[in-house]
Amino acid sequence: MESLYHIYKRRGYTRRDFLTSAIAISTALGLSSSLLPKVVKALEVKPKPVVIWLEFQDCAGCTESFIRSTSILPTDVLLDYLSLEYHETLMSPSGFYAEESKREAMEKYRGKYVLVVEGSVSPKDKGVYCTVAGKSNIDLLKEAAEGAGLIVAVGSCASWGGIPHAYPNPTGALSVSEVLKGKQVVNIPGCPPIGDVMVSVIANYVITGKAPELDSMGRPKTFYGQTIHDRCYRRPFYNAGRFANSFDDEVAKKGYCLYKLGCKGPITRNACATIRWNGGLSFPIQSGHPCFGCSEPDFWDRGMIYTPLSVVSGEFGIKEALVGVAVGTAVGVGVAYMNKKLRGGK
Amino acid sequence: MSDVAFYDFVRGPFLKFALFVFFVGIAYRFFRVIFLGLPADYAKPKGSPPFMAVKKIIIKPTMGWTFNEIFSRRAINFIGGFLFHLGFLGLTFFVPAHALLWKEITGIPFPTLPNIVSDVLAYAALGSLIALTVHRALNPVLKLLTGKDEYFANLLIALIIFTGLLATRWAGGGSYIWLVSLHLFLANLLIIYIPFSRLSHFVYYFLSVGFMGWNAGKRGVSF
Repeated sequence: MESLYHIYKRRGYTRRDFLTSAIAISTALGLSSSLLPKVVKALEVKPKPVVIWLEFQDCAGCTESFIRSTSILPTDVLLDYLSLEYHETLMSPSGFYAEESKREAMEKYRGKYVLVVEGSVSPKDKGVYCTVAGKSNIDLLKEAAEGAGLIVAVGSCASWGGIPHAYPNPTGALSVSEVLKGKQVVNIPGCPPIGDVMVSVIANYVITGKAPELDSMGRPKTFYGQTIHDRCYRRPFYNAGRFANSFDDEVAKKGYCLYKLGCKGPITRNACATIRWNGGLSFPIQSGHPCFGCSEPDFWDRGMIYTPLSVVSGEFGIKEALVGVAVGTAVGVGVAYMNKKLRGGK
Repeated sequence: MSDVAFYDFVRGPFLKFALFVFFVGIAYRFFRVIFLGLPADYAKPKGSPPFMAVKKIIIKPTMGWTFNEIFSRRAINFIGGFLFHLGFLGLTFFVPAHALLWKEITGIPFPTLPNIVSDVLAYAALGSLIALTVHRALNPVLKLLTGKDEYFANLLIALIIFTGLLATRWAGGGSYIWLVSLHLFLANLLIIYIPFSRLSHFVYYFLSVGFMGWNAGKRGVSF
């Protein structure tokens, strides 16, 4: 099977283009520059990765993001480089032939293929709420995970349960790691996650043969080690106490911080502020919208998308304070009355 | 429990609970004392008790303001106390994140401080708190008046300011969420603790000083 270098050559790219991509991959993964010759060597000789991409309770947004990953590899090279043996949205076969292709790939590349899962898993009522080719999603996942060399959960749905997991969670949606207990799952959360991050994780597997370094929640540290707030270009305005008061505020365009408009950047780990989207063009905060923390667990149930972080969720206002004062007054007067009685009314 | 889940807990249900306990506690102690009452005093006042009560509340904080008193005899108490209160109250109400919370509770918009001013206030409050605590521990008279309550309150407040500083100034990467959660958790403990400790002086100070003024007015004496 071809390596990345062969694909570059076949498609008419120069060696310089190949080396530029190797440097981009190396940088994205946070590898030391001294490792670059090893990265180049690996991408020159190691065969392209075999990927089986399963979709369960999802919207295919992660796939849309994935195929628009342009910072690291040109799109035509990316789609050629990944041997996508099964992907319901992107593949041309359907029905029996599609399933047969998946079965063959799972047998042929047993222990080597990358299993990418998009969407949450629904085990409720024997998985009847999400079936493909007559099989329940949970059976399909367990079957594919059995022989996978690397399991990657892309998107907040696969990583945490996401939107399907939101209250009242009618399908009993679970994350991939909750279903595959005991197996290592690389979580790449986000709604959707950044395409370049997904590509880098797969490239890392090709280069090193293993998953990248993960945090306690299974996220690659390189991309999820810092909060958006840490790297936000509006951060100096936060430090200076300068905040936009509304979306149409003139100062919002000047870069004032969006904290008052509900930005969740301070508690959201993702690489949006550094890698950005659409080839590094922009990210939500740069476009004038506060981050709503889509890569953190249960972001939907947290609500308060447009409420500042420090404000009590569930609202605690003057009414609640007065109720507290009333309760305290009643108890205080009662206790004082009893004390007085004990003293004989003096 | 993930850091964000812990954060959601301390800034949501726990903060709400702490605020509720705070208002219940403050009202409970206030009215328990008020309604306990005092034995009836039938003597005719020699002065004006309400006037003297208000006067005492207003002028009491500045009564000791002489150069010798502030800068020599009780320098640590005066300068340390002033810096601590200025810093602590300034941070509590005017740090942007706090100001937004107060706006939510009171409906009144609060002005916000730039980070550099907040930092100066935090260092001032923290430094003076340490100085005041050491002074308490070493001064023979204050030592007798100080109990576990004071040391616990000082430690709690120092930790809150310190974790707040850490979270805003030095927390890189993921540690911000843990630090800000810890800051909130400790602040919630303080909110619950205030009504049942001597920290409640921010409310009862006015009650006790007013009572002293009232008594002075009754007897027709000056302060």
